[in-house]
Amino acid sequence: MSGPLSKVSTGIAGLDDMLKGGLIPGRSYMVSGISGSGKTTFGIQFLQQGVRQGERALLVSIDEPPQEIRENVRSLGWDVGKIRILDVHPSARSYSKRVSMVEVAAQRAVGSLREAKTDARTEALKQASPDLSVQSLQLMLRQEFLEMRYSRVVIDSLTSLKSLSETEEGVENSIVSLFRFLSEWNVTTIMLSDLPDPAVLEVESLMCRGEIRLHKLMVSSKLERCVTVEKLRGSAHDTSPRPMRILQTGIEVDAHKKLPKAVLSTLQAIPAMAR
Amino acid sequence: MAALSLTTYSQNQKRQDMIKEKVKTGIPGLDEMLDGGLIPGRPYVVSGTSGTGKSTVAMHFLLEGAQRGENVLYVCVDEPPNEVRANMSQYGWDLDKVYVFDGTMDIMSYDKTPVRDVSTERKVVTAKEVSDSIRKTSEKGPVDMSINTLQELLKQEMRNRKYSRVVIDSVTSLRRFYIKTSEEYSTLASFFRVLSDLGVTTLATVHQAEIYKPDAEAHMSRGEIRLHKWFDGRGLVRGVTIEKYRGSSHDHKMRPLKITATGIEVKTEGPKEGSKAAKTKEPEPKAVIEKSGEENQVARAESAGHPAVAEPPASSPKEEAKPPAPRKDSPPSECIPDEPDPPPPGGEQ
Repeated sequence: MSGPLSKVSTGIAGLDDMLKGGLIPGRSYMVSGISGSGKTTFGIQFLQQGVRQGERALLVSIDEPPQEIRENVRSLGWDVGKIRILDVHPSARSYSKRVSMVEVAAQRAVGSLREAKTDARTEALKQASPDLSVQSLQLMLRQEFLEMRYSRVVIDSLTSLKSLSETEEGVENSIVSLFRFLSEWNVTTIMLSDLPDPAVLEVESLMCRGEIRLHKLMVSSKLERCVTVEKLRGSAHDTSPRPMRILQTGIEVDAHKKLPKAVLSTLQAIPAMAR
Repeated sequence: MAALSLTTYSQNQKRQDMIKEKVKTGIPGLDEMLDGGLIPGRPYVVSGTSGTGKSTVAMHFLLEGAQRGENVLYVCVDEPPNEVRANMSQYGWDLDKVYVFDGTMDIMSYDKTPVRDVSTERKVVTAKEVSDSIRKTSEKGPVDMSINTLQELLKQEMRNRKYSRVVIDSVTSLRRFYIKTSEEYSTLASFFRVLSDLGVTTLATVHQAEIYKPDAEAHMSRGEIRLHKWFDGRGLVRGVTIEKYRGSSHDHKMRPLKITATGIEVKTEGPKEGSKAAKTKEPEPKAVIEKSGEENQVARAESAGHPAVAEPPASSPKEEAKPPAPRKDSPPSECIPDEPDPPPPGGEQ
């Protein structure tokens, strides 16, 4: 019961140091940042670490079709073939008659990222299905989990999932339910998200057990990146921002280096609205 | 004359009794800020953005009660009890005597299942009895959890066991996810009222957005303890203020707060210079830096075999010693702004 909790490596050594070992397994976390801050790369790296350790890892791809993701990470020289993917990228609308959501959930298949391609069957299903929602995603994941146990899941991205579910009634409760669902299945989940609006208390910032924020700044016309741990339940963590780089080999964080002064003051100067 | 002194005496005595009767929060510095603690039988809120330590403050409050032999109850709304216990075990606390009610929501099944009442499915247990893994949503389908069922359940529970302290973590979730009517305010007010009527001192946690907006919970409560954190360029700084406290005097200054390996610490007697310095935009805890600078100087001088050099606090070595201190990672705890709100982590205008 007591004693230090076991931790899950994020696949980024410096970040694990910041998190005093990593993330607590079976909990859901948020990784936030503006576009181009490295969220998807982070997600893939997290899943890849799982695969390396012989775990099953699932990418829920809402923002991009899987083949694009594969092509993007190929440039990083990674073999991500073993990451499994649930392709829920919305397809072109056909405005034809729709079938029941549960039925679709039962049929939509999970493939490996290696074989990712525009699958005719998936496309047909997508066209027939109602728009993706938090509710339908939970049902799809349930179907998948009943067949296969996963220890890591990345949802790319929660922001899109929420936008797609805008018309759904009680979407906030659905999101609480999704968090609960992932906890009960004991998966460590990373939800990628745009920066939360500081004036609004988003349901996910309320429910997540931790938030890692990726920052992308222009400091004297040079791109600077850094990472902060905004929240981490049940564990001590580094409270200072640390420099981050996106290299050929992935994201690198130096947990022992301080941010240059100019970067620090830029980070501070950014109003909460734009952060 | 004799009558006058008698009145004064009894007034003083009354005041003393009042202070004696106050409910301790379990954090000495915070009790000092609250002029002895909280007034029993009233609802209070502890508010703050995520990661400011609301749940930890709440647990301190319960543990203090448990140590005094009171019955205390933790109502989980956000996090499942197994996670709360795991998180709190990091501080090395003995939670065995804390009663826990799992008020977390079930997984929604999205199909029509008969609605079952929560009271038939969930029981109050001690933290010791909390299972290591998360409670699984019943095969029979989810139970219907609402603020009304929770209120009834607490009433029922109070009949079995007299609780003196209750924590609702968080009332924000309770309001957002469990109030199904449009009468949000009155439903919530009724919930607090029930607890007051039962004579319970309640501490409810309130999540705040990064940009402050007043909450209904704060209006309803008899007092608000607000936790702050912001990034000051060197590191994370934490503070605590008493925003409101009905029927009691309280500290009006922001005090530094620390989350240590053993829990929360609030420092109340910061040096005057520190708060004065904090009034300037860029807080510079001059007194502290200079002091540590001198100490460094002493240490260096002694190791160099010239103890005499340290005697006069010369100005030029001080300048030399100054730069290393501000670059320290740990936030300068003595340095605290005087305004009720922290220098915003960005934006409040």
